[in-house]
Amino acid sequence: MELLGLSLALFGAAVAAALAGIGSAIGIGIAGGAAAGVMTEDPNKFGSCLILQALPGTQGIYGLLIAFFVLSKIGLLGGAGAVALNWNQGLQIFASCLPIAVVGWYSAIWQGKTSAASIQMISKKPEAMGKAVILPAMVETYAVLALLTSILMLMGVQVG
Amino acid sequence: MGVAKLKKAELYYHKSVHEQIAAILQESGACQIISTVEENIKPADIEALISKTDEKLADVRYLTRTLSPLYVDPVPALDRMLGERDEVTMSELEQLAAKTDLKAVSESIRSLEHEIGEVKSKLSEARTNSLLLSDLKFFAYPLSVITEGTRTLTALIGTIKAENLSGLDAALGDFSKFAQDSELIIAPHNEKDKSQDIYAAVIYSRSIDSEIREVCAKNGLSIIDVPAALTGTPEEEQGKYSASITELEAKESELAAKLKDSAQENMPAIQKLSDYYNSLSTRYNGMAKSEETESTMLTKFWIPVNKSQELSEKINAVSTDIELVMNDPAPDEEPPSLLNNSDTVKPFNVLTELYSSPTYRGIDPTPLLAPFFWIFFGMCLGDAGYALVLFGTIMYVLKKYKKLSGGTKEFIRLFLFCSVSTFIYGVISGSFFGDFIDAFLPPLVPVKNALMLVDPMKNPMQVLGISLLLGVIHLMFGLLIAAYDKMRHGEFIDAIGHDISWFLFIVGLCLLGVAMGGMLPAHFQQIGAAMAGLGAVIIFLYAGKGERNIFKRIISGFLALYGATSYLGDILSYSRLLALGFGSAVIGVVINLLGGLASDIPYIGWLVAVVVIIGGHIFSIAINLLGSFVHPLRLQYVEFFGKFYTGGGEPFTPLTLSQEYVNVKA
Repeated sequence: MELLGLSLALFGAAVAAALAGIGSAIGIGIAGGAAAGVMTEDPNKFGSCLILQALPGTQGIYGLLIAFFVLSKIGLLGGAGAVALNWNQGLQIFASCLPIAVVGWYSAIWQGKTSAASIQMISKKPEAMGKAVILPAMVETYAVLALLTSILMLMGVQVG
Repeated sequence: MGVAKLKKAELYYHKSVHEQIAAILQESGACQIISTVEENIKPADIEALISKTDEKLADVRYLTRTLSPLYVDPVPALDRMLGERDEVTMSELEQLAAKTDLKAVSESIRSLEHEIGEVKSKLSEARTNSLLLSDLKFFAYPLSVITEGTRTLTALIGTIKAENLSGLDAALGDFSKFAQDSELIIAPHNEKDKSQDIYAAVIYSRSIDSEIREVCAKNGLSIIDVPAALTGTPEEEQGKYSASITELEAKESELAAKLKDSAQENMPAIQKLSDYYNSLSTRYNGMAKSEETESTMLTKFWIPVNKSQELSEKINAVSTDIELVMNDPAPDEEPPSLLNNSDTVKPFNVLTELYSSPTYRGIDPTPLLAPFFWIFFGMCLGDAGYALVLFGTIMYVLKKYKKLSGGTKEFIRLFLFCSVSTFIYGVISGSFFGDFIDAFLPPLVPVKNALMLVDPMKNPMQVLGISLLLGVIHLMFGLLIAAYDKMRHGEFIDAIGHDISWFLFIVGLCLLGVAMGGMLPAHFQQIGAAMAGLGAVIIFLYAGKGERNIFKRIISGFLALYGATSYLGDILSYSRLLALGFGSAVIGVVINLLGGLASDIPYIGWLVAVVVIIGGHIFSIAINLLGSFVHPLRLQYVEFFGKFYTGGGEPFTPLTLSQEYVNVKA
C-alpha cells in the first residue's frame, strides 16, 4: 500500500495527458476535414487553414504540461528518484489533474467544431481572418482557465 | 493620429484629357472615387476602353491559367512572398504591351494545346487497342476475318466464363449444320478456375451468321467489337501499335517540352502584362463612375488632406481647363475611414482593421490598444530567449528583403516591437529558453536571479495579481474612453450613468480590497468604500431612468447592479496572461529536461540532446507565438472593445495599381 500515493499521482498525470490529448486529436481532426474541403477549391488558403486547424491543439499541450509538472513534482524526472507520497497526497495530485483533463478534452472538441466553422467562413471571406481566429479562441478560454486551476492546485499540494 | 481627415474633391475636365487624369488619380494611390451615376451608365469613351482592356485581359487570363502551372520561377516562392519582385514603371509596361502581340502568343499556345490533345487521344486509342491485341494473341489468323470476313467465312470473338465453355462447345457441336462449318478457338487458360473470363473465337460460314450469334449469346459468350482498323494477325498489329505508341509518346513529350519552354519564355512578360491590364481595368472601371456632358467630365473622389496639395499640382499641370474643388465632408455625409498613425503605432493598425475600421468621426482605438497589446503579448510569450530568436529572425528578414510590401512589413514590425516586451518580461521573470540557464549554464544563475522581479514558478499568485491588476486598468481605461466619447457628443448623463458609475464602483472596490489586505494605508478603506457606494447608487438610479413605476425602477436598478458579475468575468479573463506565460515557460523547461535526459545516451547523447533542444524550442516558439497573438487580441476585442468600440466604418479603398506579380511604380 505504500505505493498507492505514487500510483494515484501517476494516474492523474496519465489522465491529464491522455484526455486532453484525445480531445485535441478529435478537434484537430474535425478542423482538418473542413480545411481539406476548402483547400480542394483553393489550395492557396493552406496557410490560414493550417493556423485555424492548429488552434484546438493547445489543449493536448496543456495536458502534457500538467503531466510533466506532476512527474517532476513526484521526482520521476531526472535522477533524484521518487519522493515518498502517502495516499492522501497522491489523491490530491490526482484531483489537481482533473480540471485540465476534463475541460481540455471537451473544449478541444468544441473548439475544433468552431475552427471548422471558421474555416468555412474564410473560404467565403478570406479578409475575415481576424474574426475567424477569435471565435475558436473564445472556446479556448476555458481550457486556459482549467490549466490555471490545475497549476495552482498542484502548486498547493505539499509533497516530500 | 487617429482617423485621417479627408476632403471631398470635385474635378471638372475636358474629355480630351480624361486618360491623363485617370492615370494621375490612380498613380497617386490616394483617391477613392465616389459613384455619382447609376451602376450601368458609363461614359461612352470609358466604356470603349473597358471593353478593349477586357479583351486583352481574357488573353492574359487564359495564358496565366495555362502556363503558370508549368512555369518554374527562378526566384524561390518565399522570396517572392517577401517582396523580391521586379520594379517597373507604368510607361515601361505600356511599351511592353505595345510590342507584345498577346493575340498571337495565345493563338500559338492554343494550337499547341490542341495538338497535344490530339496526340493524347491517339495515344489512348493506340494503348487500348494494344491491350486488346495482347489478349487476342491466341487467334492465329488475320483479324480481317473478324472485321471484314472472307468470301465465305467470317468470325467473332468474345469473352465467356470458363464454366460455360463446355455448354457453348456442345451447342455448336449439336447443331449438325454448324459442326462442319464452324470452329471454336479457345485462348489458353487455367483449367481449374471455373469463374474466370476467357477469350474465345468462333470461325464460321457467312451463311449462318445470325444463328451462330444467337447460339453464342444464349451460351454466355459476350461478343467484343474489334476496331475495323485492325486487319493483320494480332502479332503483326501489335508490332505496328507498339511502334506507333513509342512514336506518339515521343511526340507528346516533345510538345509538352515545347509548351513548358514557351511558359518559361513568356511567363515573365505575361505576369507584367497581367498587372498592367488589371491596373487599367481597375482604372477605367473606377473612372466609369464619373458623370459626363457632351465634352466635359466630372469625377468626384475622397482624398486625404495631406495628399491634396500634391495631387492638385499634378492635375493643374495637365491643362489649364481643369477645375478642382475640394470641400470638407458635409455633416450628413459618411466618408470612408483611413487610419493615420505615427510609425510607432502603425504596426498595430492591422489589429483594429481585423476587427472593424472606425467610422470617419469615431475614435481610432489603435493608439489606445497598442501599449496593452504590447505588454500582454510580452507576458504571454514571456521568454527572453524566444524574444531574441524572434528579434533576430525579423531583423534578418527586414534587412534582406528591402522591397517588402507595406502590409507584410507592418505585420512583421508588429512582432519586432512585441519581441522587445517579450524580452523584458522574460528577463524579469527569469525565463531564458525555459530554465536553460539553470539547466546548462549554472555560472550565469546569479545574473539571472539578480534581474528577476517576479517568479511565476515559485509564486504564481503574485503574477496572477499583476495580471488581474492589468486587467482592471485595461477595463477602466476602456470605460473612461467610452465616457469621453459620450461627453464629446454631449451625452453627459449617459457618460456618468453608464461608464463613470462603473469606474467608481470597481476602482472603489479594488481600493477597499487592497487596503483591507494591508497593502495600502487604512484610510483608503474609507475612500474605496465611498467610491464604490457612490458608483453603486448612480448605477442603481441610472438603470431605472425613464421608468415611472417605482417597483420597476427598483427591479431594474438591482438587475443593473447584477451586471457586476460580467465585470468579474472580464477581470478574471486576464488570468490567461499568467497561464500562457507560465505555459511557454514550462514547455521550455520540459524541452530542456528531455534534452538533459537524452544526453545520458552513450556516445551520441550530446547530438540527440542538441537536436531535441533546438527542435523543441523551435516548436515551442511556433505554438506559443500563435497563442500569444490570439489571446491578447481577444482581450482587446472582447474585454476592451466591449466597453467603447463598435467600429462599423467603411475602410478607405483608393484607386491603386495592381501589384500581383511586379512592383508597379507610377
